[in-house]
Amino acid sequence: MRTGHYKESVGGLIALSDSKAVWAWTVVLLAALVAAPFLVGAYSLTLMVSALIAVIGAVGLNLLTGTTGLISLGQAGFLAVGAYTNAILLTDYHMPVWVGLPAAGIAGALVSIVVGIPSLRLKGLYLAITTLAFAFIINHIILYAEHVTHGPNGVFVTGAKLFGFGLQRGPALYYLALTLAVATIFAALNLLRTRVGRAWIAIRDHDIAARVMGIDLVRYKLLAFVVSSFIVAVAGALLSLQIRFVNIDVFALILSIEALAIIILGGLGSVAGAVLGAVFLSYLPEAIRLVLSAVIDPASPLYANYVYEIRGIANGLVIVLFLRFKPDGLIGFWRDARKYWSNWPLAY
Amino acid sequence: MKIATSVLAAALLSATAAWAGDPGVSDTEIKIGDVNIMTGPAAFVGRGVSLGSKIAAAEINAAGGINGRKIKILTEDDGYIPSRSFQALTKLLDEDGIFALNGTSGTANVLAMMPLITENNLPTVVTTAPSALIYKPVRPSVFTFGASYSDAFYAQLKYIHDHSEPNNPVYGVIRQDDDFGQEVEAGYERAVKEFGVKDGIRLRFKKGTSNFAAEMAQMKQAGVNVLANGGIFAGAANILSEARKLDMNLQSADVWSEGIPASAKLAAPAGYDYTVGDYVALSGPAVEKFLAMAKAFTTADELAGVSRYTFVTYVGLKSLAHAMRECGKELTRACTIEKLRQTKNLDTGGLSAPVSYDNPQQLAGTEVAVYQLHAKDVTFHELVGFKKY
Repeated sequence: MRTGHYKESVGGLIALSDSKAVWAWTVVLLAALVAAPFLVGAYSLTLMVSALIAVIGAVGLNLLTGTTGLISLGQAGFLAVGAYTNAILLTDYHMPVWVGLPAAGIAGALVSIVVGIPSLRLKGLYLAITTLAFAFIINHIILYAEHVTHGPNGVFVTGAKLFGFGLQRGPALYYLALTLAVATIFAALNLLRTRVGRAWIAIRDHDIAARVMGIDLVRYKLLAFVVSSFIVAVAGALLSLQIRFVNIDVFALILSIEALAIIILGGLGSVAGAVLGAVFLSYLPEAIRLVLSAVIDPASPLYANYVYEIRGIANGLVIVLFLRFKPDGLIGFWRDARKYWSNWPLAY
Repeated sequence: MKIATSVLAAALLSATAAWAGDPGVSDTEIKIGDVNIMTGPAAFVGRGVSLGSKIAAAEINAAGGINGRKIKILTEDDGYIPSRSFQALTKLLDEDGIFALNGTSGTANVLAMMPLITENNLPTVVTTAPSALIYKPVRPSVFTFGASYSDAFYAQLKYIHDHSEPNNPVYGVIRQDDDFGQEVEAGYERAVKEFGVKDGIRLRFKKGTSNFAAEMAQMKQAGVNVLANGGIFAGAANILSEARKLDMNLQSADVWSEGIPASAKLAAPAGYDYTVGDYVALSGPAVEKFLAMAKAFTTADELAGVSRYTFVTYVGLKSLAHAMRECGKELTRACTIEKLRQTKNLDTGGLSAPVSYDNPQQLAGTEVAVYQLHAKDVTFHELVGFKKY
């Protein structure tokens, strides 16, 4: 039984986890995820890819909003930048995926510098509105720069291959998404242990105090935008690979709202929370569908006529109730459970 | 002889395997998919679309089905979000195992599903998004029913030009800044060029815009009295309402979405007897006959939701059913596609012009009829019957 959390070395203090059990369970989870394509059907695999893309996007947004405290409603814009960069490079310039994906991230990062500059003077809702305006601007640019973006017609994404494997469906896409999701999670966890991560947290907690302590606000706020947008744009590129078609309608404002909902529901500021939130919200509609079809007879008029409304209401209701009774998000549940079992049988 | 027998056996086996291999068909049932807007602000459109498939299926089933097999419609909601359309079709294909697809939502939604449709060789009838992006380039398993927005606007403007054009006509267009808006403007462009009338002003707006005060003030300043109104639903109603506030004397040509009862109720208070160009009927004996038939298969709630969107998927499923019936007992996707391709002059009971997919674009229903709203009692009457433009 563990009796406390005493660290005896600097290495212990900055380790991702000092628990062998945590590492063992992580390996088990990874093994299960690697084996998943052999165990589940095509639709389940599609849902898993969607969830992994959501994980990448949520971890990216969490670094900006959860860790640095800069609220962004421009995620749909960054997703669009990444998706379009990847789609255009692959389809119009016949570039390989290993060029398209990093290029998407770099494009997102470069664009974020433009958006990040106002963040040096703005906070809270003011910044949120600025980033929202950015999403609209991106929308306009995509629509009007027809010679590059194909305007409202959109782009079919074709020819994505890596080592001879078609990357746009099935296990190949899943493994790519899984690799990038794992890499993103580890990168984010590692970043939070560095000077950069601590500077971001200090800015979130009190930016003036952080500045007094010698943290360069300009540099670190912009860095938060750049890193977050790089990750979100890569998620956008993966999305373009998955649905194989990008058009401005794919990147509606609702995506930015959903991204914020994911990190709030998961637990702001926590990488694990972002992951849990992304997985939870990706599977919630499916779970509600299963529950409803078990509770209501699918042949009944109630099911036939109102099931979609009931599903929508149930989806919203679960989120509202969750935040009412567990405001620290899913990660709060996780922490409570961990504390209970760590201290068992002396849990309180 | 032995070789010939083996070849014959192999051919028979492979033919049986091909038939047995096509999903969605059992001895008693054919599963048809429907990916639609069942939630969100545009859900009233999706419900109408979905209803068309259900009424057609119920009518066909009541008459004995397709060569003894009943049609089962499986609907998935996409909320009008393309990435969800992709996910919904993945579910229909991989979990439910549909044989064909009839109902779909917007153009971007169909395009997001297109890679899945083509790689599964899924017989698909697109009825609600007859955009050129769907049939250019033509995909072998995709059949489109419907006229272009461009033709629908040209038809209306031509009627106005020929019959009710005001003195000193000044034409103007207001349209969304997307592919749909481009088509609206294409019809307008063709009309003003061909009629040699004054092209007063062309305005674009962003999808979802609800306040058109500034745009309509510009219209008034430009002296516009013939308007190509590219707004949809509340947007179109708001445009006409702003025009009324400015006391504009307008002949307004509108999108076919303004031909449904809910839209007409929103727009009618502005008092403009606007026109609508459509590839399905909005009034007349065909609609009355359809409603009488549909009563037997729908609840009162559902019947109230019948609109032009119901007619388009009804016609879509009828054409799909016709092709499947032609294939006989051994129904395959390949055969259905081939029979759809051969469909010529399929009668729709006057709900549209006869359906013919036997053209390189696999495109039917391109004939447009023009209707006019009678704003006082919110009814539509036909001005011009189905005609190619």
